[in-house]
Amino acid sequence: MQAGSIISTAGHAAVLLYALVSFSGHSFEMPPQDSLPVDLVSLKDFSQMTKGAKDAPKPKPAEKPKPLVEKIDQPKPAENTKPKVAEKKEEIKTASAAPPEPPTKPDKIAEKLKKPDEKPTEAKADPKPLPPRKPPPQPKKQRQFDPDKIAALLDKRDPQRNAATGAELNDKPTLGSVKGMAAMLSQSELDALRARISQCWSPPVGAEDTPNLFVVLRVLFKRDGSVAREPVPVEGSASKFGPALAESAKRALLRCQPFTMLKPEHYDQWKDIEIKFDLHEMLGG
Amino acid sequence: MNPADVAQSVLPLTSSDLSLFTLFWHAHWIVKSVMIGLLVCSVWVWAIAIDKTVLFTRTRRAMDQFEQTFWSGQSLEELYRTLSSRPNHSMAALFVAAMREWKRSFEGHARAIAGLQTRIEKVMEVTISREVERLERRLLVLATVGSAGPFVGLFGTVWGIMTSFQSIAASKNTSLAVVAPGIAEALFATAIGLVAAIPATIFYNKFASEVNKQAQRLEGFADEFAAILSRQIDERG
Repeated sequence: MQAGSIISTAGHAAVLLYALVSFSGHSFEMPPQDSLPVDLVSLKDFSQMTKGAKDAPKPKPAEKPKPLVEKIDQPKPAENTKPKVAEKKEEIKTASAAPPEPPTKPDKIAEKLKKPDEKPTEAKADPKPLPPRKPPPQPKKQRQFDPDKIAALLDKRDPQRNAATGAELNDKPTLGSVKGMAAMLSQSELDALRARISQCWSPPVGAEDTPNLFVVLRVLFKRDGSVAREPVPVEGSASKFGPALAESAKRALLRCQPFTMLKPEHYDQWKDIEIKFDLHEMLGG
Repeated sequence: MNPADVAQSVLPLTSSDLSLFTLFWHAHWIVKSVMIGLLVCSVWVWAIAIDKTVLFTRTRRAMDQFEQTFWSGQSLEELYRTLSSRPNHSMAALFVAAMREWKRSFEGHARAIAGLQTRIEKVMEVTISREVERLERRLLVLATVGSAGPFVGLFGTVWGIMTSFQSIAASKNTSLAVVAPGIAEALFATAIGLVAAIPATIFYNKFASEVNKQAQRLEGFADEFAAILSRQIDERG
């Protein structure tokens, strides 16, 4: 029993010692990751950036793609038809007959030796011209008070701020997309439109109980908010109330025009829209 | 315990110095005592394991050797004479006990053969139980440590987690840096408990089966020897 105890104690001591050395909480060190420079660009910023400028350079007609290599080598004449061994022999012969050109090394050394000689002569020949005389410092201009620039002086905004229009925001303006406008239909406009339509809309009787009953109408507006053309159903649920629903929606649109809550400056946004007429969404059921 | 004190005792432990010693040193004294107790248990378990391994190996080898000499045709009287002074293993002890009873019955003034058979069997039975008892001494320690060790460790862990939660409450800060050291030291108690308990369970199972095997072997030898002696009794009587 004694031997066992001694061995066991010694073993535990050894393990503990080892654990003391090796067991320690290493902090998690993450390898540094290359950061991707990402700017968050809001939709508004993006459309402003893509807004076209009238004076943008027109895209050049696509150039002919340059060949990847500058000069295409002529195909080598087929010399290799001769057996290689014979060729080599010839070479050796010529090498022994005519000594090759002297190696270039001595030349370099000679050049190096020459160089220091040349420099001083040059320096002697034309000494450095005197530095051009500086023009006498002009008297500082008195800051002139310009009453027109008061607004600019008072402007405490960051001079590096982003300009508002596309041409200044984007240093390389393009002709842009047609709809590159920051203006979007705001939520209040949409809500107003929705409220107005649901006021006018009288859905077909008995349709309230049908789940998932909807129809999507494509509506073209005029600039004054009136409907330009008869709305066309684009999508609808398969139901016996479908045609009646589409008819009632059409009627609602025509009855309530013009929709004055749609602002003419956003005309691009709403001149051609699709409106979903959903019984439960529109009527809050 | 004042929660502020707990916070004081736990907070200095930053995650940078989570060495084993610091883990132990910053623990609550109850957790500390649990850890020390489990460590002692582990030492004791391994001591027993080493001791038993040596004992069983030696016993098995001695049994093999004895059976070989016993069945080699050597005279039992001679064997008894060599072994009687120091029966150094269980089977020899069995043999010596039976032979002593046999000799006493025959060499005394009055021959007592009538109950000799029963007496020899009784003597051998007693010797077997004594030997088995010697073999399985301290095995209960292994069983106890194996079953109770994890629970004791768990107790330390629960206590440590309790104190670390107290420290959270005291410092009003739930960042992981406050919680982690306390939980680490608490889990350390369970780790020690498992370290002590797993070998204990394994060794207990191993040794229990070993004791069983050797006891059966002893019983088999006892039966055979009893048969031989019974034949001798009948022939002489």
